[in-house]
Amino acid sequence: MSVLISLFLKISAFSLVAFGGVNALLPVLYDLSVNQEHWISPQTFADYFAIAQAAPGPNLMTVTLIGWNVGGVLGAALATLAIAWPSSIMIYFLQGYIFAIQNKQRQKMIQYAAGALAVGLVLAAAWQISLQVNQSLAAYILTIVTITITFFTRWHPLYLVAAGAACGLLGLI
Amino acid sequence: MSGFGGVLPWARRTIVEQEKWLSSEEFSSMLGICQIVPGPNIVNLAVCVGSRFCGIPGAIAGVFGILTGPVTLVLILAMLYEHFSYLPIVQGMLRGISAVGVGLIASTGFKMMRTELNYPPMLIVVIFILLAACYFHLGLGWVVLLASPLALYFAWRKVNKT
Repeated sequence: MSVLISLFLKISAFSLVAFGGVNALLPVLYDLSVNQEHWISPQTFADYFAIAQAAPGPNLMTVTLIGWNVGGVLGAALATLAIAWPSSIMIYFLQGYIFAIQNKQRQKMIQYAAGALAVGLVLAAAWQISLQVNQSLAAYILTIVTITITFFTRWHPLYLVAAGAACGLLGLI
Repeated sequence: MSGFGGVLPWARRTIVEQEKWLSSEEFSSMLGICQIVPGPNIVNLAVCVGSRFCGIPGAIAGVFGILTGPVTLVLILAMLYEHFSYLPIVQGMLRGISAVGVGLIASTGFKMMRTELNYPPMLIVVIFILLAACYFHLGLGWVVLLASPLALYFAWRKVNKT
């Protein structure tokens, strides 16, 4: 029981610093679940990350899967709620306030500042997570190819995920 | 539920085009706000749209509505994973997907960075965060705390410049 409470509280604490969404949180999640609490192994984290990427739905599913590993269906529900409730309550009260800001300049300033934070955190997360989940040179190459493709085409991400799965099936990664 | 590769395009189609709950401009400004505040973007959006119609019950209904389907599905996948993760084929597939997934996150970051290029000094904030997080390994809370004043300062300069 105490492990579930700890799961809920620790993940809740992340919700309010997740500028840029859950993707920005991935390195911290890794640190918490693998290094600090030893809930899952590095390999399981990488696999959960892959499952969450491949499954339809919001990208917070890595959190759900960690919760599932810790405490089954209840753990999954608690982890998902934990990542969602603090920011939900904040946006509920904040939305009226932000819409009400008449001063366009101040509105823009908040927007620019939060935007820059999000960019930094998402890029930092991508860097740190790539060091954890990519275990071979081929995996890094696949990551770089993915970035390149998204720069020059408008392919749906699902095709890229499927292509990644196919490369893995063929034993290339 | 059918939100492969992110739910946003699908959410837009349902909310704006099919149900006509919001106009396109309303949706865009709402989304803008939901993306700048911390937390899962799509959950924030569900709170905004839901509360717009039914206050707190609407917000709660929105969050559960957006999460129930995907959570159920991902748990089914997790159970399959428990049974089949020993297979080398499955392991290879997951490795391939992870590598692509990391790439997709990075490219989201790069795409968001394009707007920062309008005002290059803002890149100092991005570099500061990268150094703090990747090189000095500061915790996320510290990174946000230290980078926020810097981000606000450059945002203030950017607003006054344009």
